[in-house]
Amino acid sequence: MFCYIEQMPRGEFLGSLEQIVMLAVVRLGSDAYGMTVRREIEERTGREISIGAVYATLERLEAKGYVSSFTGEPTAERGGRAKRHFEIEAAGHRVLNASQEALRNMSEGLSRRWKRA
Amino acid sequence: MSPLTLALSQRILERLMPPAQAEALLGDLLEERRLRLQAGSEVSVSGWYWRQLASSVPALLWASMRRGAWLVTVVTAVASFIAAFGIQLVLESVLSPMTTSKSVRAVVGILSFAAALAACGYVAASIRLGAARLLAFLVFAATCAMLATSTRAPLWYEGSLLVLGPVATIAGATLSGWLRRVWL
Repeated sequence: MFCYIEQMPRGEFLGSLEQIVMLAVVRLGSDAYGMTVRREIEERTGREISIGAVYATLERLEAKGYVSSFTGEPTAERGGRAKRHFEIEAAGHRVLNASQEALRNMSEGLSRRWKRA
Repeated sequence: MSPLTLALSQRILERLMPPAQAEALLGDLLEERRLRLQAGSEVSVSGWYWRQLASSVPALLWASMRRGAWLVTVVTAVASFIAAFGIQLVLESVLSPMTTSKSVRAVVGILSFAAALAACGYVAASIRLGAARLLAFLVFAATCAMLATSTRAPLWYEGSLLVLGPVATIAGATLSGWLRRVWL
């Protein structure tokens, strides 16, 4: 674990919402855009999230180079508005793996303590 | 959905994010609204829509501030505000000694106040249109605060300051926008 963390530049861990949003984008694949990401998060976590929070998080991740976006074709059910699709970049995969790995390692062996508490 | 609701949503979103992103977000909201309408009533879906829009504002506002758009607007407006009062002080100190009449001095004060704000509104709008609007609001708020703490001035003077300040700022900003359209 420490070797893995040492390979990453400092401060390259994702926040919890960033991880959730990135995982939703990974799950949705080519169908990842604002609405589907928001619904995926709500369905899987039971946590209500605003579309604005999803966009703000994706914008932050895009600025860091972890996701990229492209504009799709306008559709009638969206009032003639185009979708903005998102996909994970290689750097995004790396940082997501590292963040998940760090969490797993930090929580390893703690389940017995939680049960006792 | 009424065209007014749509226009209002678009206006709110375009204030907080780039137009292309605002369009995509609004499209997402409309698409999900349509999906929800298949299972829910118009009233409950309308409530969901406005809750989504309202709860999106803090996150989008924060993102907009991180982008720096708001910071530039606020800094421009505050700098213009300080500059306007500086210019007004200079104008007043130059023009006031030319007369001893109190009412003429008051008129000179109001005119120099309006001229300084029109000039600064023009400059602020050239940098960022939002900055001129914020400047007009700052002027109105500052004039209200000033008048609330001092009751010595006649009513016509107070009224002129309250109206002329924001109007002169917006006039300067409008002139800037008009000249830009003529030149470009």
